[in-house]
Amino acid sequence: MQAFFEDLANDFYTNLIAADRWKLLLQGLGVTMEITILALILGLALGFLTAIVRSTHDKTGKLIILDAIARLYTTVIRGTPTMVQLLIVNFVIFASISVSKVLVAVICFGFNSGAYICEIVRSGIMSVDEGQFEAGRSLGFSYAGTMVHIILPQAFKNIVPALGNEFITLLKETSISGYIAIMELTKAGDIIRSRTFNAFFPLITVALVYLAIVILFQQLWKRLERRLRKNEQ
Amino acid sequence: MSSKKNKAEHLKNDVAAANAGRGKPIIRIEHLTKSFEKRGFGKRKRRSGDAEQPDDAHIHAVQDVSLSLYKGDVMVIIGPSGSGKSTLLRSINMLETPTSGHIWFDNVDLTDKATKIDQYRQRMGMVFQHFNLFPHKTILQNLTLAPIKLQKRPEAEVRAEAMELLARVGLADRANAYPSQLSGGQKQRIAIVRSLAMHPDLILFDEPTSALDPEMVGEVLDLMKDLARSGMTMAVVTHEMGFAREVGNRIIFMESGRILAEGTPEQFYKNPDNPRLKEFLSKVL
Ligand SMILES: Nc1ncnc2c1ncn2[C@@H]1O[C@H](COP(=O)(O)OP(=O)(O)OP(=O)(O)O)[C@@H](O)[C@H]1O
Ligand SMILES: [Mg+2]
Repeated sequence: MQAFFEDLANDFYTNLIAADRWKLLLQGLGVTMEITILALILGLALGFLTAIVRSTHDKTGKLIILDAIARLYTTVIRGTPTMVQLLIVNFVIFASISVSKVLVAVICFGFNSGAYICEIVRSGIMSVDEGQFEAGRSLGFSYAGTMVHIILPQAFKNIVPALGNEFITLLKETSISGYIAIMELTKAGDIIRSRTFNAFFPLITVALVYLAIVILFQQLWKRLERRLRKNEQ
Repeated sequence: MSSKKNKAEHLKNDVAAANAGRGKPIIRIEHLTKSFEKRGFGKRKRRSGDAEQPDDAHIHAVQDVSLSLYKGDVMVIIGPSGSGKSTLLRSINMLETPTSGHIWFDNVDLTDKATKIDQYRQRMGMVFQHFNLFPHKTILQNLTLAPIKLQKRPEAEVRAEAMELLARVGLADRANAYPSQLSGGQKQRIAIVRSLAMHPDLILFDEPTSALDPEMVGEVLDLMKDLARSGMTMAVVTHEMGFAREVGNRIIFMESGRILAEGTPEQFYKNPDNPRLKEFLSKVL
């Protein structure tokens, strides 16, 4: 029993403390968060934009070309693996242009997330009763004004849980960035594994870090949801 | 229709109106027709058919309706379900785009594509069967949103006036509540004063009491009577015959998208000469 704990302490030391390996993980975590947050911002912008284009087309029949582009975009992104998209963005689109790898990942994951956020926002807009739209228009609001003041605030409230989910999905999905030589959290753990020849410690640590972030985020998000809901009862 | 002929007709109607001692109409509907495409029928028929030709791919919700609404009118529209009452009413503020015909508001043709409809809608209130209050806004904000954003009136002034309106319907103490906290009758009274807050020239009502529990119908009708007495121009689709009789100065009976009878409440109830109207009244009275 004692030997077991001694081994554990030893492993802990070699995998996390020696050669400041914990710093490698911390740096990796920083890169993971950077990619996730920037990609989420890009994804939200793209997602809202395409969702508004698509709903406007559904409601008014206008924006035919933009709608076709938006539909193509969401179909292609949602119909192919993220991993393949990452490789294509890195080795095809940015093959001869030298930009930072992190930027490549942000663009890839941002566009990827945007397609899913588009569907989320679209379902949010559709979930708002048609009568709300008519009430806005009958008061004299323009189409855009009705969207901004009446439809989107209600749609947003409806999709807050789904948006939280999207953040979690995105966070975990960035773990494939190692394939284009980005030192994010998962890659950092894997590098430690290859140096210490110990798989258990670095990989479990990495998993726990992801888990901790997700749980912490879920708590914060639940609080936000509750606050938004209270605003209406 | 050529513009010359239009003008001539204009003149004729104006003369008729002046003769009636009612001045110019606020709303004039000319030969309004609205057809809906039946689901799943659309494309196949559209290619082969003449648009003017009645065919079974279309529902003719409103067919060649002409009428005028004068200042202070309380026009009640009655008729069986599916007769086109809502479609007619919703065409007045262009929530439905007419298939053909014209709607004149203040000498502006609302059906003209060049007309900026939003600015005219600001002057026409609309009250819906299902209230359609904004659930994410407080009662007070429901009233002030449009006047502040669209009419750019000073916020303090708009708010003060909104509080007066709320006091008028006895709901001043609910100013900071949300719509979900109100009863149906309260919601509908708020919806009515929400449209009043815009200082409209007229208000359109589409079955304002049909979604209410019976005990709440009275409070909403009372407010509408109050409005009518204060001189508000109103077009009301309703099944409330008592209201039609007591408050309406004109009643319109619609069936199959057409106006089959029009007259004062007395004419309607004393001796309805139209057999379809007779039948309808015998069912609802
Ligand atoms: N958006 C639409 N698409 C297709 N058909 C429609 C649409 N709106 C109305 N209609 C049809 O037009 C006809 C007239 O409908 P409308 O709603 O104006 O009748 P109504 O007199 O208001 O009836 P109710 O008393 O039931 O409200 C009906 O046959 C209806 O099915
Ligand atoms: Mg109706």
